[in-house]
Amino acid sequence: MIKVRIPTPLRPLTKGQGEVEAKGANIEEMVDHLEGAHPGIKGRLCDEKGELRRFVNIYVNEEDIRFLKGKDTTLKDGDEVSIVPAIAGGN
Amino acid sequence: MLPLKIPRQILDEMVAHARALDPYECCGLLAGKEGAVSRHYRITNTVAKDAQAVEVFDAANVKQLADLSEAQKAEVAYFMDPKEMLAAFKDMRERELDLTVIYHSHTHSPAYPSMTDIGLALYPDAAYLIISLEHKAAPDLRAYSIQGHQVTRIEFQAI
Repeated sequence: MIKVRIPTPLRPLTKGQGEVEAKGANIEEMVDHLEGAHPGIKGRLCDEKGELRRFVNIYVNEEDIRFLKGKDTTLKDGDEVSIVPAIAGGN
Repeated sequence: MLPLKIPRQILDEMVAHARALDPYECCGLLAGKEGAVSRHYRITNTVAKDAQAVEVFDAANVKQLADLSEAQKAEVAYFMDPKEMLAAFKDMRERELDLTVIYHSHTHSPAYPSMTDIGLALYPDAAYLIISLEHKAAPDLRAYSIQGHQVTRIEFQAI
């Protein structure tokens, strides 16, 4: 199992849970598995083409997947995935 | 949203942070329990250096950053260093605290959320606090709830 840390804005989709378990050999499969258990979450993470949204940061064991293989980043049992939406703004 | 209480020391630290970076925007997070803030995390504004920032602003269609110089970007926008955010959230988990406030400074404009702030407000449960240095001698701090483009002023108590 993979432990997934859910940020507060997405917790309404996970019944308030800050951590859920998921399966998948890579990030893309993990997102699909999450969608099965928590419908609606995929649309918050991915655009209509299935690509990860630009403002969504995903870390595998604290490594940013943008510097790994993006949604093809492989996962193994015991990995910890963190989802952290960007915080940005301006005047 | 719960009544917001912020220690005076943390309010002073935020103003000092804003002044130290002026004319560039500062940013950071406050954590606590049930609206009572107890922890302050300064986060680096990486808007000028991080290519992801330009993509995020473009995707949200809120501000064109691509043509600005690095210095100009940091005067008009902020983008929190993702790695520092991850570390702050980990610390909050370990201390059993909740993200309570997301703050940044406006160095030339009032303490009111801009269209950019509203368009990029992805954390509806947090209070968004703005430190305005428009009048340098009298920093103005105001907090808001931003939920689905709806902005509501939140009073906070200095404790």
